[in-house]
Amino acid sequence: MAAFASLDSETADLIPPGKTHLRDSTQDGARSLETFLASVERKAFRIAQIALRHEADALDVVQDAMMQLSTRYAARPPEEWRPLFYRILENRVRDVQRRRSVRNRVMAYLPWRGEDEEDPVDPIDQAVDRAPAPPAQLEADEAMAALEQAIAELPARQRQAFLLRNFEGLDVAETAAAMKCSQGSVKTHYFRALQALRTKLGEFRT
Amino acid sequence: MSVERAEAGVTEFEQQARALLEQSADQLPGSVRSRLTQARYAALAARPARAPSFARRWVPAGAAVAAALALLVVYVPHGHDAAENPLGSAGLEDIELLTDSDAVPLNGDQDMDDDFYEWAADEAAGATAPAVGS
Repeated sequence: MAAFASLDSETADLIPPGKTHLRDSTQDGARSLETFLASVERKAFRIAQIALRHEADALDVVQDAMMQLSTRYAARPPEEWRPLFYRILENRVRDVQRRRSVRNRVMAYLPWRGEDEEDPVDPIDQAVDRAPAPPAQLEADEAMAALEQAIAELPARQRQAFLLRNFEGLDVAETAAAMKCSQGSVKTHYFRALQALRTKLGEFRT
Repeated sequence: MSVERAEAGVTEFEQQARALLEQSADQLPGSVRSRLTQARYAALAARPARAPSFARRWVPAGAAVAAALALLVVYVPHGHDAAENPLGSAGLEDIELLTDSDAVPLNGDQDMDDDFYEWAADEAAGATAPAVGS
């Protein structure tokens, strides 16, 4: 809520006295946008992380999507924000994947492969945790890792349909709006994603 | 299993997948949660104060049109002051000449009447000049 304090002080100067209803609507807009962003940020990060397999890239992508929604589409009705946000997010994910693809092609022609550009390995991250993990948690972690790997290997449209429908909980119409395709295509992509995941994973053992 | 059947109800597989994904989102490390919060605040701070209202958007365009109309009213000559504006009245006379069917032809036909015009000019000169010997 600290963001509201700065926003309120900035916008209050712009609104003349006697127009407090405008100030109220501005504050309401900021509040509802913050509520929306807070409700999607973690899932959006996980969706980007599964697609990109890289934490820093996923954070950048989510930040870009939030910024674009806030600066360009905040005036749209709040019910349109969710599909818009996920469309922006997917576009950013594709941009990063495209850049990586180009970079990899360029790197393939160079004698040095840019190993020094890789993120330095953090020894603390690599250290083995000697504390015994609870068996249920261990099993859940393994299942999550397998699921994440299987989702990441899906074709992009199937991955998007599965994550938006299953994880984010968008309905078919919202998913179609986010993916910019027909509702029939969403159903097909989702169905194929489910089939592929079942084939790879079987049923979860929980 | 068809598409319709898959859409009809959420299967156990889907429920388990969703539970795992939601658990992973809830258990994000503190550093990631902190970065997400910072990103959210940055996005909110970049939000425009409010969208320009209808009036605010159209007032500049309306003012430009009004100014253009005012210029037209001031500089285009009107009937009642044509005498005060020789350029304007001359323009109107030219238009009348061009559109008058009884006016002197301005195409090649005027060559046929050269003799007539010379005679008329001589007559006019003779009428105004004082007679020789008078």
